[in-house]
Amino acid sequence: MDKDILIEYFPLYKDALFLTLKIGWQGIILAFVIGLIGSAIIHFKTPVLKRIVGIYIELFRNTPLLVQLFFIYFALPKVGIQITAQTCGVLGLGLLGGAYMIETFRSGLEAVPVIQTESALSLGMSDFQTLWHVILPQAISISVPGILANVIFLLKETSVFSTISLMDLMFTAKDLIGMYAKTIESLFLLVVFYLVMLLPISIIGAIVERRVRYGQFGD
Amino acid sequence: MRKNLLKTLTSGLLVTGLLAASLTGCGSSDKADGSAEGGATEAGSKAAGYRTLDEIKDSGVINIGVFSDKSPFGYVDENGEYAGYDVYLAEKLGEDLGVDINYVSTEAANRIEYLQTGKVDIILANFTVTEERAQEVDFALPYMNVALGVVSPDGAVIESLDDLGADDEVIVISGTTAETYLAKNYPDIKLQKYDAYAEAKTAFENGNGVAWANDNTEVIAFAIENEGYTVGIPSLGDQDTIAPAVTKGNETLLTWLNDELVSLGSENFFHGDYEATLLDTYGADYEDELVVEPSK
Amino acid sequence: MANLGIDVLFKGTNFLRLLQGLWVSIEISLIAVVLSIILGLVVGMLMTLNNPFLKAILKVYLEIVRIMPQMVLLFIVYFGTTRVFGWDVSAEASAIIVFTFWGTAEMGDLVRGSIKSIPVIQFESAWALGLNKMQTYFYIIFPQTIRRLIPLSINLITRMIKTTSLVLMIGIVEVLKVAQQIIEANRNSSPNAAFGVFAVVFLLYFIVCWPISRLATYLEKRWE
Repeated sequence: MDKDILIEYFPLYKDALFLTLKIGWQGIILAFVIGLIGSAIIHFKTPVLKRIVGIYIELFRNTPLLVQLFFIYFALPKVGIQITAQTCGVLGLGLLGGAYMIETFRSGLEAVPVIQTESALSLGMSDFQTLWHVILPQAISISVPGILANVIFLLKETSVFSTISLMDLMFTAKDLIGMYAKTIESLFLLVVFYLVMLLPISIIGAIVERRVRYGQFGD
Repeated sequence: MRKNLLKTLTSGLLVTGLLAASLTGCGSSDKADGSAEGGATEAGSKAAGYRTLDEIKDSGVINIGVFSDKSPFGYVDENGEYAGYDVYLAEKLGEDLGVDINYVSTEAANRIEYLQTGKVDIILANFTVTEERAQEVDFALPYMNVALGVVSPDGAVIESLDDLGADDEVIVISGTTAETYLAKNYPDIKLQKYDAYAEAKTAFENGNGVAWANDNTEVIAFAIENEGYTVGIPSLGDQDTIAPAVTKGNETLLTWLNDELVSLGSENFFHGDYEATLLDTYGADYEDELVVEPSK
Repeated sequence: MANLGIDVLFKGTNFLRLLQGLWVSIEISLIAVVLSIILGLVVGMLMTLNNPFLKAILKVYLEIVRIMPQMVLLFIVYFGTTRVFGWDVSAEASAIIVFTFWGTAEMGDLVRGSIKSIPVIQFESAWALGLNKMQTYFYIIFPQTIRRLIPLSINLITRMIKTTSLVLMIGIVEVLKVAQQIIEANRNSSPNAAFGVFAVVFLLYFIVCWPISRLATYLEKRWE
């Protein structure tokens, strides 16, 4: 391995890391919002919306992100819907992540004992107040390990963004290999940067998971 | 209790055994389905990552890397058959060598890698000869002329790279000479990079970039075949050539290839190739400009 | 809007080729899942042993699988191993190795979980009856864990099929690559092919993965 090449390539990977994180986090926030809304819809069994959310979950959980991105980025413009690569990345990740987040939140919601809802309602709280002040805080804290697992999953999935011209970590490696054939150095940096990005989250995830387990009542 | 299940030593051995088993397991299954590639594996060293002419002949199959989505040079037609200018040559090589051809679909950025890792014997994927690449692979004699060109939509034709605005993005394909040339000579131009030809072209059609820079053969073909596009810059950078390439150091194959190309050149094979595969796209005007009959 | 480019699929053998491309993906996934189940049982058993050295190695292994994108692993196995060790691994074999590497970790972790959930008394009774360790695992422990693992491994199949969409990056001609080829070969006659073809690919993946993941959910509920 050539040290000079590692030093030369380093800034390129750094830029790619920032792009990956930027799109990654925007996508994850979108996924979070979709997850909250979707799980609330399922929780309250809102008639028509519930079906739509169900179809959405099945569609996006049973197709690869790569194909979703291809469809959004290359196919939709043919019917007049034009978006930039970055927006497509955020949207693709958000929609995929949303389908997983809904499931995570929903199992969080289900884990909160019914008596809590009943008590809140009997105290005169509205449906929304019950959800917002009583159920959601507990559901989210139960869901934290699941959420973090989803975050890692989604950040990993950003590696397919290279196909829609986003210069993420994967693309940088592929591009450098294609131009200069310094395969080992390019792959080495790729691994290092993914470790730097995801190892801390993974470790935090493990710690939080232990905490949350201790934090549950009556268990 | 479970602590005593197996002694430390035994478990250590087990892991080693497991690893070894999984490695050899994978290795042998690989050889079983890829016996054609067996020859290159034997030596197990980086330097020997290629098959000699005799090894190819003995195996009865030659692995040729071509594009599968770059019409009219290398693509797959509606019946699933490889076709195009490069493939026409590949077919002839296979025939004269007396072996079957295993086409390997390649992307631009993988071409050097495929040769260096011995995953193909010859690259026939519109591979432009450049100094940098010549350090990594061995080129045979050229069979086509090429330069870079830039195509843009009729409404906003780019005639000079200085016309580009600060936010304008130019589409290129990762691992092509256009990419290296622009990155080196116009570092300020924003490039939008794609892996595959099909993707780059679709993105260009969709209006994701203001122009598409590539081999001029490609962009001219695109402008001829698709309404509404003009090649504003027909020739950019140096005049280059396109040639087959083999793994560096594969002397036997290179020598055979060069002799074969010279003999084909003396029969005007490549004019025939042009007429069979490119005439529909380019018309007769470009024939003498593009075609090179290889000679010593 | 009139022409959405679905017609190109009826030209020549185009649609058949798409299906063949899809089969390539399914085939790779199935082989990888079978290997993962077998190796997963072994790795899962190793995970329950209290050997610190072994534990550390397995922990690192799980962590690698957890945080490295499959595409990175594919590149390492396909290009990296040839560079470093001179191995010539075909693209299909690389894909199977990577997917098995990933699947084994997931299965192993699940096996560990289910072995741990089996009461210690079962081990002790088996030994008391004179079974050796191997026999205990084969006759007593694995049969109990396997039932639990079936829905999860079916689930793993769908995730693998979805992930196989990445293998076009290492030159395997699967359904997406065929889609690109079709779009490219018909660019003039059918400029909107990108819409029709990618829409069909999207649906094909759904048609394959959806029933499988329903089956997994069904079995999971039923056998709980």
